Amino acid sequence: GKAAQPKPAFTDEAVQTLLYKMTGLDLHKVFRPEKKGLKPPHYKLMTEAQLEEATRKAIEEAKTKLIMPPVLNEREPIDDVLAEDKVLEGTETAKYVFTDLSYSIPHRERFIVVREPNGVLRKATWEERDRMIQIFFPKEGRRVVPPTLFKDENLGTVFQQDRHEDVLNMCIAQFEPDSPDYIRVHHRTYEDIEKHGKYDLLRSTRHFGGMVWYLLSRKKTDGLLIDMINRDLLDDATSLITLYHMLHPECQSAKEAKEQKLQGVDLIKVFVKTESQREGYIQLALQAYEEAMATSSAS
Amino acid sequence: SPYQDRPWEYLESEEYRATYGDRPVWHGYRRNHKGSVPPQSPRKACLRRGRPVGNPCPICRDRNLLVDFRNVKLLDQFICPHSGVIFHPIHTGICMKQHRRLSQAIAQAQDHGLLWLQVPFVPVPEEDFSNQHAAVGKTPPAPALRGPGRAWYPWYEWQQPPAAEVARMRRLYRGFLKEDYPDTPPS
Repeated sequence: GKAAQPKPAFTDEAVQTLLYKMTGLDLHKVFRPEKKGLKPPHYKLMTEAQLEEATRKAIEEAKTKLIMPPVLNEREPIDDVLAEDKVLEGTETAKYVFTDLSYSIPHRERFIVVREPNGVLRKATWEERDRMIQIFFPKEGRRVVPPTLFKDENLGTVFQQDRHEDVLNMCIAQFEPDSPDYIRVHHRTYEDIEKHGKYDLLRSTRHFGGMVWYLLSRKKTDGLLIDMINRDLLDDATSLITLYHMLHPECQSAKEAKEQKLQGVDLIKVFVKTESQREGYIQLALQAYEEAMATSSAS
Repeated sequence: SPYQDRPWEYLESEEYRATYGDRPVWHGYRRNHKGSVPPQSPRKACLRRGRPVGNPCPICRDRNLLVDFRNVKLLDQFICPHSGVIFHPIHTGICMKQHRRLSQAIAQAQDHGLLWLQVPFVPVPEEDFSNQHAAVGKTPPAPALRGPGRAWYPWYEWQQPPAAEVARMRRLYRGFLKEDYPDTPPS
């Protein structure tokens, strides 16, 4: 057949710009006050120029805070045996873990091996590696034993309190981006948000891009589209549909959009007719939006 | 106590409402002491050798108030709503034993996700995630491990010693060897 274009990855420039545009930049949410020790308030007297300078600096800092965490596939388990010394069988009763503690090597290049009581010398598994590295080189916010709230039964209680952003931040602090626990917690969170329609919880945070990518790969974009139209974010809706077409170029609406070079509301209408499951709701939302636009332009 | 298994139900009951109203459990409690300055260290325990002291602390005086990681409403009353720290036991008036149990219960509740916890912002790690390095990637197994019959060191299996050594041993112990002692052991 014909040579298909390579599938766009999460790290592509075009994809990242679109996701960043969709995330939004609400400074009041990014720099919301956190619970720390109490101090008396601090006032500053500024001119207009100084205020603009301060806002510009705040936007720069917010951009660093909104860098999206990487979306990777699950890592391959390590099960390489380096040596088998049957002479040592029966001499010890416990496993020995040998960790290379040189300070200046990256953690992913650190050699960690385990000598089992039956004499086998093997490379440590990923869980053993993470545990050893956390014991000898503790990282802030990470615990040796992960908190119990990452288990499936406890995640439900946290989601009921609407603390999805906190869960995702704790997950980034605790697990490596390619570990199965990280991916499982993220997928659970995105599923829960999509089920209850709580998309606004992650807007203006660094997790919004990841959530959009997850929904696009599984074609569950209807709820998000309705939410965007209800909040009058038409630009975000069009960029969402452009990303959908980039990810799934073989679908009906992608071909039509490419032929007719549609923009704006027409793009959304074509997408709704061909691809979406909840057509009725989206049509209603679009109608409400158009009525609101008509009344506001008339008045 | 009737609320042993479900301690959170007491905080919804009429009895609790009548006793404490909307205020926290420790509101209005005062230590009894001589002089104008109250003691600057909390009491060690409210039960001395099985007997309660006079004027026990706010948790020990009510047998239905159980310190458990599941009754979040009680634990919330001992955490400052502005800064998120646990109040000092001098401020609330509880004894050291209960304060220790309360801190453990609060840590457990935060661990299970029932209680709010301040999550620090950890920036995204910038490292190479390709896992190509030998420490975490695949290494080909050693030649000795590839076949099932091959041993790791050659001397794991029996090897025929050199003929000179065998002759030397025979000459050394010639008075004690059996007549038909073989050179190779029976396998």
